[in-house]
Amino acid sequence: MRISISHTISYAYAEPARHITQILRLTPRDHDGQHVMAWRIEPTIDGRLQAGQDAYGNIIHRFSADGPITEMAIQVNGLIETVDLAGVVRGAVERVPPDVFRRDTMMTMPGSELRSFVGAATSGADTPLGKMHALMEALHETMTCVPADQRTGIGAAAAFEARAGIAQDLAHVFMAGARHLGLPARYVSGYVAHAAALPQAAGAHAWAEIYLENYGWIGFDCANGLCPIDTHVRVAIGLDYGDAAPVRGARKGGQGENLAVRVTATEAGARASNQ
Amino acid sequence: MPDFSYGGTQDLAAGAQRLVSKRPDLTMLSRTADSLYWVSRYVERAEYLARILDATTRLTNLPSAYGGAGTEWHSAVLTAGCEEAFAKAYGEANERNVCDFLSFSPDNPSSIRNCLALARSNARAVRTALTSEMWDALNGAWLELQRFEKKRMDREEFARFLDWVKNVSLVFDGSAYRTMLRDDGYWFSRLGVYIERADNTARILDVKYHVLLPDTEQVGGSLDYFQWTTVLREVSALTAYHWVYREAVKPLLIADLLILNRRMPRSLAACYENISRFLDLLGDAYGRQGPAQRQARKTLASLSNTQIETIFEGGLHEFISDFITENNRLGGTIIDQYLQ
Repeated sequence: MRISISHTISYAYAEPARHITQILRLTPRDHDGQHVMAWRIEPTIDGRLQAGQDAYGNIIHRFSADGPITEMAIQVNGLIETVDLAGVVRGAVERVPPDVFRRDTMMTMPGSELRSFVGAATSGADTPLGKMHALMEALHETMTCVPADQRTGIGAAAAFEARAGIAQDLAHVFMAGARHLGLPARYVSGYVAHAAALPQAAGAHAWAEIYLENYGWIGFDCANGLCPIDTHVRVAIGLDYGDAAPVRGARKGGQGENLAVRVTATEAGARASNQ
Repeated sequence: MPDFSYGGTQDLAAGAQRLVSKRPDLTMLSRTADSLYWVSRYVERAEYLARILDATTRLTNLPSAYGGAGTEWHSAVLTAGCEEAFAKAYGEANERNVCDFLSFSPDNPSSIRNCLALARSNARAVRTALTSEMWDALNGAWLELQRFEKKRMDREEFARFLDWVKNVSLVFDGSAYRTMLRDDGYWFSRLGVYIERADNTARILDVKYHVLLPDTEQVGGSLDYFQWTTVLREVSALTAYHWVYREAVKPLLIADLLILNRRMPRSLAACYENISRFLDLLGDAYGRQGPAQRQARKTLASLSNTQIETIFEGGLHEFISDFITENNRLGGTIIDQYLQ
């Protein structure tokens, strides 16, 4: 599938910011399941934009600008060609060994309730792969994926308690479950294009990847209840959301920040890149 | 040792009266596309042979006190990928035999002479698909070549000849870049350039990989230094090396430059960036993606996602051998998908 992505992150400040520094994880890399045909990152104000990589191999951009800044936006536009590998991640950049991803983080601490849920949900399966599928289905049934304005709590335990969360929370809950069972799990941020098979709306998305012996890394998307297909575009990975967040930053001044994010990810016509 | 014979030789029966695409507004014959692809490949190959000969001449001109192994000419034949044909025609690998075989021998299908002849005959077959500048470059080169062939050459004259070959390639390539319409014809000709170039760079690494391995490294050994710089000279990368790394010549970094550095125009990664781009353009124009696109993207992704240390851990020789096989396979896939 050819997916055209447009992602705009706009900031407006009631009191002008004197300085802004950001780390952007907004650039996907090629692997067997996806090929980047075109990709651009364009801040709307002048500043320094330097490309680099982090420890996981994610492509990062450091952006910094001096104020006074009353409003600015980061615009990302790109075109990706994807193929359906049924969630199997092959040929991706792997800078750290899988065992690193066994570690729990604040976001993926399971509560006792989640631990017993994981035990019950996976008891019927005897292989790790079977357990992960059972867990994904159980969480997909049990939890509701809500829009950002209805989010109740941050972190796996809180989200599970509420039986609701945004896609990011569902990924954390699933990772907490997998790590509880002793499997390496990592967070993936990316985009998902609209498709009939997916209950969730198209746009920015997050899911989890689990490392299984003999298979390697396999993606699990609890919010949609399936392993990633050709609608999914992988952008960044990490131990949890904090490592893979699209934008992290700091600023001097700039009280009263107003943030607006607009994402579209749609199937593009075959000749879209030819113009 | 992998199969050293050139995977890339033209099947002259190929390129039938089929159209490259089923789209009614694109009417290029497969045969035309085939010829455009091979014109560029042969010109690129001629230049590469000139580079090998030039670098080998430099290496053998060193005083023997530097301890040269005396196998430089043999390794030039290996790098050119025509060991078997050479053994049949000559036997001893010395300067005269090798220079003659790689430059003028009509018996060597990949001699500079034959490359230029094949480039010209392919170009003549699709004369109207080329711009007049491109045709003049090739036709002029062919006529000029007759003059060189008749001469008895001393070293100085031969060096002039090699420079001239490189110049022919420059003029042809530059003419294509400056005058050709950016449509499928141009993309096919670029594919020829980059498939051939990737093959050539990989071959240099394959023959010279043993001097790049850490266990043969004699610290400060002058021979190694000259061997390494020869590898860099063969791809005009000695100055680039110092710009990029700003330190003494080290085998690991040489391999990094020639395999993974996209800024280096003859590196494997740079070649695949281009191959992938031109295949994407073809796929878009024809409205169809195929195995060639998938295969090129896969190789590009693996070159972008790995690091030179990882390649050395897994074995440089194995990596290069696999790459040459894969690259030949992609050449075959492109031919199957578009050119016959």
